Amino acid sequence: MSEQPALPLPHEGEPVDGAGEGWGQPEPDPPGSERDRLARIVLGQVFEPGSARVDGLVRELGAARLLTLLGEHRWVQDVSNDARARLAQVHPERDLERAEAMGVRYVVPGDDEWPACFDDLAGLEPLHECSGPPLGVWVRGPHRLDEVSDGVAIVGSRAATTYGVEVAGHLGSMVVQAGHAVVSGLAYGIDQAAHRGALAAGGVTISVLANGVDRAYPSGHERLLDAVAAEGLVLSELAPGTAPTRIRFLTRNRLIAALGRGTVVVEAAARSGALNTANWTSRLHRALMAVPGEVTSAASRGAHQLVRMGAATLVTSPDDVLEVLGASGEHLAPDVRGPTRTRDKLAHRHQRILEAVPVTRPAMTESIARTAGMGLFEVRGGLDQLARGGLIELTRRGWRMRQDEEGRPVIPD
Amino acid sequence: MGIGTTHTVALSGAVGHLIEVQADVSRGQIGTTVVGRADSSLAEGRDRVRMAIINSGLEWPATKRITVLLSPADLKKTGTHYDLAIAVAVLAADGVVPQRSLERTALVGELALDGGLRCTQGVLPMVLAAAHRGISRVVVPEPHAAEAALVPGMTVLGMRSLAQVVAELRGEEVPEARPVPPLTGGNLLTWRGESRLEEVDLADLVGMDDPRFAVTVAAAGGHHLLLTGPKGCGKTSIAERIPTILPDLDAEESLELTAIRSIAGVLDPDEGLARRPPYVAPHHDASRPSLVGGGSGRVRPGQVSLAHGGVVFLDEFPLFRSDVIESLREPLESGDVTVVRGDEAVTLPAQALFVLAANPCPCGNYSPDRRLDRCSCRQQALRAYQQRLSGPVADRIDILRRMSPMGVQLGDRFANRESSADVRRRVALARERQRARYAGAGWRLNAHVPGPVLREEHPLPDDARAELDRAVLDGRLTRRGEVRVYRLAMTVADLHGLERPGLDEVRVALRLRLGEPLEAATVTSLRRAG
Repeated sequence: MSEQPALPLPHEGEPVDGAGEGWGQPEPDPPGSERDRLARIVLGQVFEPGSARVDGLVRELGAARLLTLLGEHRWVQDVSNDARARLAQVHPERDLERAEAMGVRYVVPGDDEWPACFDDLAGLEPLHECSGPPLGVWVRGPHRLDEVSDGVAIVGSRAATTYGVEVAGHLGSMVVQAGHAVVSGLAYGIDQAAHRGALAAGGVTISVLANGVDRAYPSGHERLLDAVAAEGLVLSELAPGTAPTRIRFLTRNRLIAALGRGTVVVEAAARSGALNTANWTSRLHRALMAVPGEVTSAASRGAHQLVRMGAATLVTSPDDVLEVLGASGEHLAPDVRGPTRTRDKLAHRHQRILEAVPVTRPAMTESIARTAGMGLFEVRGGLDQLARGGLIELTRRGWRMRQDEEGRPVIPD
Repeated sequence: MGIGTTHTVALSGAVGHLIEVQADVSRGQIGTTVVGRADSSLAEGRDRVRMAIINSGLEWPATKRITVLLSPADLKKTGTHYDLAIAVAVLAADGVVPQRSLERTALVGELALDGGLRCTQGVLPMVLAAAHRGISRVVVPEPHAAEAALVPGMTVLGMRSLAQVVAELRGEEVPEARPVPPLTGGNLLTWRGESRLEEVDLADLVGMDDPRFAVTVAAAGGHHLLLTGPKGCGKTSIAERIPTILPDLDAEESLELTAIRSIAGVLDPDEGLARRPPYVAPHHDASRPSLVGGGSGRVRPGQVSLAHGGVVFLDEFPLFRSDVIESLREPLESGDVTVVRGDEAVTLPAQALFVLAANPCPCGNYSPDRRLDRCSCRQQALRAYQQRLSGPVADRIDILRRMSPMGVQLGDRFANRESSADVRRRVALARERQRARYAGAGWRLNAHVPGPVLREEHPLPDDARAELDRAVLDGRLTRRGEVRVYRLAMTVADLHGLERPGLDEVRVALRLRLGEPLEAATVTSLRRAG
């Protein structure tokens, strides 16, 4: 840090609370500048991602200035001393160089590639003490992040059933064919199925990790990770080489929700992490959807709960998902309706008359009128019309349903 | 003048009886009588035999009274393969053939008027039966020589004509004769179908994890399977690949199947013993006799017997005639078929794996995709269709799977493409465990173990037991269903190399039985286990 130009600093020991005034400081380094980028790398490694406090300070002071203050052992309110202690172990230029060698880039606000959707995370109420846009993201893959942000997040349980896996795979392949990118994690079950479906259809799929983009977790997904990195995008707030922790999966989920225009929960048990992503989706005011399962299926309990609470829209096909995501009036899914039946085409009074015509034993017009509860004159006209339509026939003993060649009554549906 | 004695075999179903043929040639009213419950086709043999002997350049004792007795006399005999034994018995009585040369020898074959031998059906089971009764040498029409030679320790003489047989028995030089036309008839079709099936492999199917797992379990434990799903979802494709994951037939099954084929007259003489499990897929128009066996005269084995040790695939199962469906109860439950005709009941083995397939509706045009759904079924028709799926036959099915057309993910490079050989290895190991466990018992596979034996000799751990009881109390399972889940759990445990099923295996078995989707981790567990 010594080669950085000296900045005018507040007096030693003076509290810096981020909201201070009269600092006499210049404008923070513009986002996207080299100093800003390096500072963000460092901050990203000394703090857990999704810290609302760090986000606020960076917004206020700029990443570089916050780092300098930390480096000079100034007391920054609410910022732990542990973080400060870790500063010395971080070498951002070296990290960046190594990352580049692996085909990994670090994207920060101000870069052309920075997707606007991340900024929507700013100012959201924290969930599990986590909120805010990422300081920057490590990215692997041939696409520009800002160009693939028209995503659909497909999330669900690791302990999925074969049904959930099939639905997620089908959904993945259909949404990429409609021009969307799939966004998910890299877990077994639904995540895996969604990526596979998207890749099978030759589409773009984005995997957001809770660890460095250079390693697969679970390790059995190494091939899947490489395929996503080769044809889609792999990204993470955490520097290459970083291992996942339980809390990092939760903070990661806000990025999945932010990258998607909507989130589909395919199968989620009662305490699934997918419900956390669903929660972020709601906070972001993005479309939240859930795929139903059998009512007895434990794997669908969480998804059912989302629908029951009114938080998610029930979707049963890719068409439904596209309709929800599309601008109003676009991608309208076909209505569910039964086939049109012969009776549907009849006028209501003719339906009533037809109802009163006996199937085999003929009845006279008067009797039919009585059964139908209608006037004789009206019934007489109606019967003639029904007979012309080939639905009923007149015998010597009255009206009945038309009979086929073998004498069996033909009953219209 | 005297009595000549020869041996041949009568077949009833797959069971052969050794028949002693005695011919008496003596003075008396001139004529020939055959006694011993011979049917008309056999009685006609009298004329065939006379002309065959004369046209072979031998002498027919025309001035004598000839009496032929087929004993045991109370056994009903039918067929034409007695001709050779009758002719040789007459010749032995007349002193043309030395009686000594006929010791421990059985003769099988129909005669033509020119003295040539004709093929017959069921030679293998006949020779098997003869071997059991101490016969060590058989004379059969030449095309059957290979078939007869499948029986260990048997000396087989494949002959073309009566003259050859007589020369052989007299120890003379065997004369030339025209070759015997082989039995072929309408069997080429079956044969061609089988060679097509030899080329299919599970590796052709992409993904389909759930049905793959289900057929692995079905094959390993011998569990019957019902696949439902809209057309085009791969029901037939997966069913016709089940034989490819079954291990080779063991010696016993192999001989049984070959014998059944021999009776049905569909044995390819070049093929020898059937080693690979067979596959039959009768159409839903099939009649009861064609499916379970029957016919007039000699009993013809049905398709289910021809699938002994293999797979019977019944596509569009609810469209089969209801009497046909009813007749499947026995083979589904006991593994054999009893055909009753007139006063005789014939039992044929039919230990096949049944795979039933059904569409979600009778018109077959239903699709879960709303844009493609063209189903026009009335509620009433749907209900009738569904009822067939829940009838007494369906109750004997262990595994129920619902397949969806989404399962086919052609471009998915991560999809399961395991080959039949990989799965077959797994199935063979699981069957090996069962063989060891059930050694000495009357069953080989988990699917055939009686319920009480399961409970007494292979008890479940408490938590697994409780899970099973809960399913019965909840009304999700019947008591019959409970036993089936128990057996399935045994097979799942065998596939995982476990000593006995635990809670996890019972849960998997419940899902298999109830048609619920499996956990994704379950279907990949076998691959991970290797």
